[in-house]
Formats: sequence, C-alpha cells, structure tokens
Amino acid sequence: MISEFFDSWSLFADSYLAGWLVAALLALVGVIVVARDQIFLGAAVAQASTLGIAIAMIAGAWVGESIDEHTLAGGMAVLFAVAAAVVTAYHRDNAKESHEATTGWVFLAASALAILVVTHSPHGLDEVQHLLASSIIGATRSDVWLFASLGVLTTVGVGVTHRTLRLLVMDTQTAAAMGVRVGWWSLVIAVWLGLTLGLSLRSSGMLYSFGCLVLPALVAKSTCRTVGAMFFVAPVVALLAAVIAFVLANHYDWPPAQAAVALMALLMIPAWAWRRWRGA
Amino acid sequence: MSEVEDDVMLRATGLSLGYGRRTIIADVNMEVRRGQRWFIVGPNGQGKSTLLRGVLRLLPAPAAQLWRHPQLMRPDRIGFVPQRCDLNPTLPTTVREFVMLGLVGRRADRAARDRRFAEALRQVDLIDRIDANYWSLSGGQRQRALLARAMVREPAVLLLDEPASGLDLTAEDALMRSLLDLNHTTGLTWLFVSHNVELAARYATHAALVFDGAVHAGPVGDVLRSDLLESAYGVPISVAQESEGVVNVHIGRSGPREGATQ
Repeated sequence: MISEFFDSWSLFADSYLAGWLVAALLALVGVIVVARDQIFLGAAVAQASTLGIAIAMIAGAWVGESIDEHTLAGGMAVLFAVAAAVVTAYHRDNAKESHEATTGWVFLAASALAILVVTHSPHGLDEVQHLLASSIIGATRSDVWLFASLGVLTTVGVGVTHRTLRLLVMDTQTAAAMGVRVGWWSLVIAVWLGLTLGLSLRSSGMLYSFGCLVLPALVAKSTCRTVGAMFFVAPVVALLAAVIAFVLANHYDWPPAQAAVALMALLMIPAWAWRRWRGA
Repeated sequence: MSEVEDDVMLRATGLSLGYGRRTIIADVNMEVRRGQRWFIVGPNGQGKSTLLRGVLRLLPAPAAQLWRHPQLMRPDRIGFVPQRCDLNPTLPTTVREFVMLGLVGRRADRAARDRRFAEALRQVDLIDRIDANYWSLSGGQRQRALLARAMVREPAVLLLDEPASGLDLTAEDALMRSLLDLNHTTGLTWLFVSHNVELAARYATHAALVFDGAVHAGPVGDVLRSDLLESAYGVPISVAQESEGVVNVHIGRSGPREGATQ
C-alpha cells in the first residue's frame, strides 16, 4: 500500500503536498473558529467563496484574455470569502442581529446565487458541483508554495500572539477591558479566515476546506485540556489524517479529499469517547 | 508630583459619560486615593457600569474631566473582574491557563510571570488547584479564579463589576475576604460595582451612589444616607451611623443589619 503510494508520488506530488498543507493551515485557523463557537461561519464563508468563483466564470467571458482565468477565480474566491467573514464579524460585534442569523443568511444567499449565476453557463453548473464536491487533484507547485507560505505566516502569527488570541476567543469582554483592540482583532481574524479559506477552496473544494477547518479543531477540543494545546493538536491531527487518507485513497481508488474528511469525522468518535471517559 | 498628589489614583471633575450623543451620567466629581475601597451602588440601569467603563477608558472622556495617575494611563495596570466570564463552557481550560491570560499586555520574563501567577493564586486561596480543570471549580472558586486573573497583572487599581452577583453567602464571603486581605496587605484600591447596599456598608470606605443621571460620591458615611438611598431606590431605608465607621443599613421592613466600613 505504501509502495503504491510512493509510486504515485511523481504524478501527484503537488496535489498531495498542497492537500496536506491546506489541512494543517486550515486546522490551525479552525481552532479560532471552533473556540469562538462559529463553526457554521466556516461553511458560510466557504459558500461565499464558491459564489465568487461562479461570478469569476461569468466575468471571465467579459474580460477575455486580459486576466488569467486562474488568477481571476482565485481573486474572486478570496474577495467573496473575506467579505463574508468581515460582514459576519461586524454583525457579531454590533449585535443588532444574532450571529447565527447573519451567518445563515450569508450561507443561503451565497448557495442560491452561486447556482443561479452559472445556470446558463455551458459548464458552470458542473464547475460549481465540482467545487462543492471537492478534489485536490490539480493543485500546482505554486499552490504548494502558496500554502506553505500561508502556513508559516499563520504559525508565526499564532505563536507571537497566542496569549492575546486565546483571551480574545475565550473572553472578549475582558480582552476589551485589558486594552485589547477587539474590533481590530476581529477584522484581522475575519480577513485571515477569508483569505485562507478562499484560497483553499479554489484549490481543494468546499468539502475538504470546511472539513479541515472544523473537524481537527473539534477533535482537539475533545482531547486537549487547554485551548493553547488545541493550537498544536489540531494541525497534527489534520496532517496525520490527510496523510493516512491519501495513502488509503490511492490504494482503494477513493477520492482523497472525501477520504480525508471521512477519516477526520471518524476521529471524532474516539475523541468524544475520550472526553466522556475523562469526565471533562 | 507631591506626596498627596501621588496618592490620588483617579480624579473626576465635572465628568460626563454616555453613548454617542446620549449622556448617561453628568457632572461626576470624585477623587479615588490609593488603598481606598470604593463601592459604586445604585439601582439597575442608572449608569453604574457606565462609570466603570469610563474609568476603563472604554468610553471617551476628556482628559480635563478625568485625571488618572500615570500608572493607570496604560490599561496593563488596571485589573478587571467581570460579573461573570463569558467563557464557552465546551472549551477545555485549566486554572493555570485561565489565570495566565491575565498577563495579556504585561511584559514580564518567565520567572516574573511564574512568581506573579503563584502569588495571585495564593492570594485567592486556589494554589492547590493550579492544574485543575476550570470547569471542575465551584461558582465561588471560579469567581476567585477571575480575581486571580486580575491580580496576576499586579494592578494599581482593581475594578470589579458585580463579581459577587449570583454567589451563595459562603462563596460571597470567601470572595470578599480575599479582596479585603488584598486591600490590607498590598494597599490595593478597589472600585466595586454592586447593587447591594448592605455589602457596600460592610466593606466600603467610600461610595458613589448613581441615580437620575447624577453621582453622589464621598466617604461611605456621607453617601449611604437614608435620604439619598430612599430617593435612589424608592423604598424606605434607614441608616444609622455609629462610632468607628460602623454603618447600620435597614432596608424596608426587614431587621437591621450591621456593616463595618473600616
């Protein structure tokens, strides 16, 4: 099984590496999302990103050759993801409406519009379905470098600001009283979530991106004793699950993204059992 | 700065505070000195927390109206204990992690951090629960963990927003004893928001009574007067001042209860 996997390396190296880096990166960002109890936000932002890609498909016909199709799709994915994350963050801090209501609105509006926008495009619906279903095959070497860079930046950022970050996600009111600029931090977190999720979605699809965002962090939440430890455990869980899933997917000819998400979801069962056994 | 001036931690002169164009409290005049125990009391919704937010610099206040000791110009020397902690109950955390979060914004090397941490836990009598799951603590212990999180900053002034609300008598007593010990041993200044006049009578040296957009501030005996309290709360309240700073508060038809203010 392992040797088969190594045999496929020359063909799929970039896809595997990009998939693993996306898993670790989103798991790290996902700790913040899960700690703030905003799991559905991940789905809404990912869906908004899909809408951005759908609009890019239509816009591609208008702009012609002036902008590279790949660049346009990536840019629109990030733009819509960041906008959705910022809108929901703004509503969280200026609570005229519940956070869930805003997130639900973003998710539903983006889901419906993504389909409507591409309905009359020759391959539009197929493309959107493909994005929603997820596939990591097709990632390029530049994707690998991009996600490696984002991973390093995110790790350094979390490492340097870990105490402030933990206070923010655990107790926003006290963070404000201690002089932390909560609004500014919320904006930075929202932009970073939109950026990482938008770029990941363009390369690996919605299911894989959303799965890597929330499932490893949920496993970490059930197995760790502190929020600080979650920042270590979630990326490790994501990376291990993705490595094992890609090897299995290669052997059994499964789609690797779905195999990875299924494995991460299965890991939740022993994690819950562990938490119950500990009595935590 | 003179010795007397150095003793002043906070001075409000004709201070007005509000949200946007809406003024909640106006013409606040009060002077908080080092080691004093201030209680901000008054009926709900009258501006107690607004006054606290002003002190915390969460609301804009002209420098001419609100003078702060240089130690308080940065929020890192202000300790804050909220009414309750909005911690997501499904999040895992230990007493150690929870209390160490109080060091956000404070620069200190590892040895200094560890010393402050151990000292703060000793002060609130939680030193034997360092690695306990935060969620395994009782309600009173959690409030003391909140106090430790504020104390780990080694604050010059401690602001408390109804920290005893919802605690049973035993837990409230343990919390107040911890606070009183800190005041006696370190000279820590408190600003304690509470709706409980009896608690203020028992523990305050000074009080600020907030109602009808005004703040009556001064030594506890001058502020916790029956005429002012009855105007504020709209119920019969009798207060008897005795020697040695002892104040008796008698609310409605219940029996008299005694509180020592020194």
